[in-house]
Amino acid sequence: MGLADKLKQKLQTFMQRPGATVSLAPSEALLPRIEALEEELGALSDEELTERAGALRERLTKAADVHRSGAGTDMEAYTDATSRRQAVLIDDDDLVEICALGREAGRRALDERAFDVQLLGAMAMLAGTIVEMATGEGKTLAAAIAAYGYVARGSRVQILTVNDYLARRDAEWMGPVYGLLGLSVGSVGEDSTHDERLEAYARDVCYVSVSEVGFDFLRDQLVLDAGDEVMPGLPTLILDEADSVLIDEARVPLVLAGSFDDSVSPAASAATLVAAMQPGRDFEGIEDGRNVQLTEAGALMVEKAYGGIDLYAPENLEKLTAVNLALHARALLTLDVDYIVRDGKVQLVDGFRGRIAQRRRWPDGLQAAVEAKEGLTPTAEGEVLATITVQGFIGLYPTVCGMTGTAVNIGDELREFYRLEVAVIPPNTPSIRIDEADRVYVTAEEKEDAIIAEVAAAHEVGRPVLIGTLDVAESERLAAALRAKDIECVVLNAKNDASEAKIIAEAGGLGRVTVSTQMAGRGTDIRLGGRGETDRDAVVDLGGLLVIGSGRHNSRRVDDQLRGRAGRQGDPGGSVFFVSPEDTLIVRNGEPFDGRTAGDGRMTGPAVDRAVSHAQKVSEGVAFEIHRNTWRYGVLIERQRQQLAFRRLEILAGDLAAQWVRDADKERYDEVVELLGEERTEEAARLIGLAHLDRGWADHLAMLADVREGVHLRALGRQDPLDEFHRVAIPAFKEFLDDTQTKTVETFAEADLSEGWTPDDEGLVRPSTTWTYMVHENPFGSEIERFISAAARAVFGVSSNPPS
Amino acid sequence: MLSAFLSAFRTPDLRKKLLFTAAIIALYRLGATIPSPGVSYGNVQQCIKAASAGSNGIFSLLNLFSGGALLSLSVFALGIMPYITASIILQLLTVVIPRLEQLRKEGQSGQAKITQYTRYLTLGLAVLQSSAFVALGKSGQLFGGACPAGVEIIPATKIPAWLTLVALVVTMTAGTGVIMWLGELITDRGVGNGMSVLIFTSIAARLPSEGWQIYKQKGAYWFAGVLVLVVAIIAAVVYIEQAQRRIPVQYAKRMVGRRMYGGTSTYIPLKVNQAGVIPVIFGSSLLYLPQLALQFTKSDNPGNVWLWVDRHLANPSNWVYIATYFVLIIFFTYFYVSITFNPTEVADNMKKYGGFVQGIRPGKPTADYLDFILTRITLPGALYLGIIAVLPNFFFMWLGGTSYQNFPFGGTAVLIMVGVGLETVKQIESQLMQRNYEGFLR
Repeated sequence: MGLADKLKQKLQTFMQRPGATVSLAPSEALLPRIEALEEELGALSDEELTERAGALRERLTKAADVHRSGAGTDMEAYTDATSRRQAVLIDDDDLVEICALGREAGRRALDERAFDVQLLGAMAMLAGTIVEMATGEGKTLAAAIAAYGYVARGSRVQILTVNDYLARRDAEWMGPVYGLLGLSVGSVGEDSTHDERLEAYARDVCYVSVSEVGFDFLRDQLVLDAGDEVMPGLPTLILDEADSVLIDEARVPLVLAGSFDDSVSPAASAATLVAAMQPGRDFEGIEDGRNVQLTEAGALMVEKAYGGIDLYAPENLEKLTAVNLALHARALLTLDVDYIVRDGKVQLVDGFRGRIAQRRRWPDGLQAAVEAKEGLTPTAEGEVLATITVQGFIGLYPTVCGMTGTAVNIGDELREFYRLEVAVIPPNTPSIRIDEADRVYVTAEEKEDAIIAEVAAAHEVGRPVLIGTLDVAESERLAAALRAKDIECVVLNAKNDASEAKIIAEAGGLGRVTVSTQMAGRGTDIRLGGRGETDRDAVVDLGGLLVIGSGRHNSRRVDDQLRGRAGRQGDPGGSVFFVSPEDTLIVRNGEPFDGRTAGDGRMTGPAVDRAVSHAQKVSEGVAFEIHRNTWRYGVLIERQRQQLAFRRLEILAGDLAAQWVRDADKERYDEVVELLGEERTEEAARLIGLAHLDRGWADHLAMLADVREGVHLRALGRQDPLDEFHRVAIPAFKEFLDDTQTKTVETFAEADLSEGWTPDDEGLVRPSTTWTYMVHENPFGSEIERFISAAARAVFGVSSNPPS
Repeated sequence: MLSAFLSAFRTPDLRKKLLFTAAIIALYRLGATIPSPGVSYGNVQQCIKAASAGSNGIFSLLNLFSGGALLSLSVFALGIMPYITASIILQLLTVVIPRLEQLRKEGQSGQAKITQYTRYLTLGLAVLQSSAFVALGKSGQLFGGACPAGVEIIPATKIPAWLTLVALVVTMTAGTGVIMWLGELITDRGVGNGMSVLIFTSIAARLPSEGWQIYKQKGAYWFAGVLVLVVAIIAAVVYIEQAQRRIPVQYAKRMVGRRMYGGTSTYIPLKVNQAGVIPVIFGSSLLYLPQLALQFTKSDNPGNVWLWVDRHLANPSNWVYIATYFVLIIFFTYFYVSITFNPTEVADNMKKYGGFVQGIRPGKPTADYLDFILTRITLPGALYLGIIAVLPNFFFMWLGGTSYQNFPFGGTAVLIMVGVGLETVKQIESQLMQRNYEGFLR
């Protein structure tokens, strides 16, 4: 390579800084040494291997203990004591030993000798990076080896999976490997009992889905007795499908809600009213698919129906809210695209994975509105008792690393939000998948015809085809069209992840046609020729699996994931996306473009390609902006939540509440002690204190949500909304903490604290039921920043374009 | 404000930020006083002395913004004006060129590209402007021919003249690049918005020398009097800049169990001075036109019109000039507010996201309501801007002579200084709050 070429390459790496990655060279240098150990370890018996792994663990743990920083930090209250030992870096010799042991254990337990690239992945994870490894490269085993490394260093490890099915499968699958290495392993699922959770979390390695562990964390934050927590602190975290957790779901708040007395919900009557409305006449503004509003005619109709009220008077706020929500449910949320109805329940479709999102609800009454729209009984909304975003939660872990098929594209975000670097592991065998350029058609109809024709052509010779669609309805439509042409196909609409994984595993079989929404069966390999690879040669001759995307997704990364289903481990394969200007992505984010160049509606030319990629970039940009904003506002709330957790711990495990009441009124305190005894008095104070603290926090959260909703208006007065938000939130939090003390003292002074007393007697009702859900991407919040930019532009007087 | 600074200094990382900002400001001022190669510092000083005795206003506003660096042709002579001009041009182009509009919509990566273009354009403008100023300096016109005869700003040396001139242009262009970088450094790692802080610095840097001039020419009593007046003006500006009318807004898109906070913190803040400093700049630029016209139409026996304009419209201490200035500012205030705060747009946006002003129907009635309040609140705002802007002209009348044009205690300068000051202090305060309470439990 000439100097000029070298310079050019250097410049290119420099220019592509967003994808800048960690160098693998130091790890690569260790590979021969790992291989050299293979013979020695291979000669050992299973018991000897376990012993050797245990010896290394013992030595490293001891070394880590010595180095353990003694300085107590605020975080101490949370994190597992063991996980803070990670400051100690292991040296190369230990790294070699860890990898060699891991490889040997994998070979014996799974009959799978870990490739060099898998070891590189494990080493990169041990260095605390996010590893990009293509699908089918054996991420699960790499993670297991990395987990052993972390455990050996004296930390417990949690491996976060996308769903419960994968948590259980991976724990069982990797169980023998861990067994040989002398590690205990467990998994937690939605149906795990309290005791099972307690046990699983205490194991060396625990597989669990992100929502389960997040909810357990929140529940632990609300226990009434010290020692009731299921998680013994936060260990080291290894993320499976890291991009999905760190980026796609980062903004999703995990919410612990309690029900409260809900008066008759106006959702039902509002739904009836709205159902009778006519688009255009009674409501408008649904073009961008994000907002809808009553017209004057619509407002008058509602006022008439409610008996001539003034809809915009303060006392009718609830009715107006109900109508707005019903309108949103009717005009912007579509059955079988955004949600499905099953077993008399509304279930959300996860926009990123195209699957049904378990236990997920729309926030702020929208769920009830959708239920009313479908004629179901609206469920109670509940009050937010505790909440944390996935991002905030991940941020609590002292050590985070992970793996995914697509990380380079999000390198910038990972660096900004998590201070994580990306390491790209090359595939074991280079990919020979053929990625075709997009095929763009003028209308959606022509696009679908072209897809059917393409599938038919491939199917005729028996080439397996996987069609990735954008939503459930499209899956059904395409499947019906295919069946009409006598092409047998499997549609993935399975309720549970397990059977879905089975179908996906078969998708590479001869003559198979599988229709599925985007992310179906993540974590499951598609082997050519079916699971047993019976017809592998025939399928290879046909060109391997053909992946067809029925439209570009909201980000390139998701496209790449779909493409990645084909061409596993150097297999042949192909991928192509069919696009139309009528696709939602382009309608919402793009500029209109035109240019029919063929009779079947095909459009070609650089302008067309540019328009498509522009729309996708806009969509990515919007998502990034929203992510950043949620994050900027979330930082403060997260900090307050941590403060609250410390205060709560002081009350829960210490005697802070008792101190309060004793200092305030010694006489009263002694009086109660006489009545109940020292211990029970302290308990009473503690329960009162906790009740006020939890109640106050829920109120504080509600207040913050309220402020957040309208704080963007401050930009109109040339104030920075974020600063203004802080200006409100910070004093309010201090006030809440002070109030807790005052109220605790008051209640303690006034309460009738005799035998058989419970906090309920004082009206300190704890929620009768609690349930957990993840708030679907807030359908209103995402607009706030766009409004700010519009307002900013208005202030600077540059453009009069309304925000699109 | 002082207490905010004091407690900010007690917070380690804020102290670091403040010191960092101070260091950058010091660098910036240093560069503004270092003469470019080939410029005779002594001769420049002579010219400035000569020029400040007579009246000339050609570059005085620019000179004010560059903190006096322009007229001395220093390394940072161009100040941040090229960058500001470039940003404005690019923002305008965004509306015109679809490709830029597309970039802007692409979010962060697109925005980064636009920033990159802005930087290139800044350098381009810097080359143009520095060439112009260097040429003016060479020909002696920079000071409107006020330099004493034989005193050359860029004296001839053994080095060929063209080389000196090229070196000057390169130096000043590079200086602009450095200033741009300094500004971004402040924004990223210091406190406040870098560009605003640098403008603030430039204007504030002129205060001591202007004050000294008054002291020298008019004596201690006058000086003390002016000082008291200045403090009073600044206090008044701070007071009015903070004044706002809050229109409570209610959002009706979330069904929350118990509504207890609605309306208290959700409002549209309408500032008394909603227009900021722009109307003053517009007004003074427009009033500068007659002066310019006079210079072009200078002749040996001027007509009556010429003389009238010279005596009234081009003379800042004349009542006609002051009255025209005042009226222009009031006009531009209304004009600017009507452009930047479009009640219909705000009402539509609120309606779109489910917000409304209590008791008022969304859409047109809300727009009318906002318009009604805005029109009324703008009147005191406009009067206030006018009064602040014409104050220096009264100074001229009292002090006699016109050497105090763009006097840093009046008009534009005070408005900018107070505006930037308030904004920066607010930011420090907000950061302070975030940090301080981290430890307040312990």
